[in-house]
Amino acid sequence: MIKVDDSLCIGCKSCSNVCPSQNIVRTETEKMRSIHWKRCKEECDLCVEFCPARALTLVPFDETVQEPDLSFDLVACKICGSRYASEPMLRRIEAALAADSERDSEGLEWIRVCPTCRRSREAEMASRETVLERCRRGQ
Amino acid sequence: MPVYVDVDRCIGCRSCEVACQRVHGGIGHIHVHFVGDFASVPIFCHHCEEASCTIACFSGALYKDGERTAFDVKKCTGCGLCSLACPYGVVWTDKIAHKCDLCEGRAEPACVATCPANALTTDYELASRRERARAARAAAKGGRR
Repeated sequence: MIKVDDSLCIGCKSCSNVCPSQNIVRTETEKMRSIHWKRCKEECDLCVEFCPARALTLVPFDETVQEPDLSFDLVACKICGSRYASEPMLRRIEAALAADSERDSEGLEWIRVCPTCRRSREAEMASRETVLERCRRGQ
Repeated sequence: MPVYVDVDRCIGCRSCEVACQRVHGGIGHIHVHFVGDFASVPIFCHHCEEASCTIACFSGALYKDGERTAFDVKKCTGCGLCSLACPYGVVWTDKIAHKCDLCEGRAEPACVATCPANALTTDYELASRRERARAARAAAKGGRR
């Protein structure tokens, strides 16, 4: 059976992806990601091995113990407002990257921006010169 | 960045997207973005020197292999950390991560070979010459660089 340390779990998709018996169920809604660990009798520790936060351990099977269940509110993108990541995952990335790389050339905290808006911003920045030149020519 | 983009040349035809999907089983790693009606820009992995996706990846599936940011699918768990760590939003995850592999095993990346406008190149010298020519034209006209 799987024991979850809810102070360590970052709400990623690792364990639910690697479980070969579908005993870890991830439910995604627009605003929330929930993970449900079913009581499992398998002698398999893939989820434990592949947990980036080391939040999982195997414990002996016990029918009386409640099945662990965690829910994470998804963080809204600073630009478009769409919910795209769990707060602990973003914190983990902020901790892993150098402090001076957490803002882009215009001072934006890009980790708090969703990947789609990051691509759009990159396109705008990469084409700035071209757009200026074409506007000038068009006048 | 081992594939260089010349935004001036991009015509927004999205052939690169098709070429990338064709050689990667229907999942493409290059997206053409349109900036109003004025420009189109193909957006894809920069193969950063200090790649934050490789720093965020806990399983060692993403790693630096010379200039390339390489990906070992066997080690990937699809946790999603890399897609959140990429400043350009060009690592995708579903069950596993997807990103530009520079068409490993091919003579030239499919996007570069396909681009009808010659907007993509792996030739640093060519990219650099074009950039210098553009700067010179701008300087000659007295415009801002």
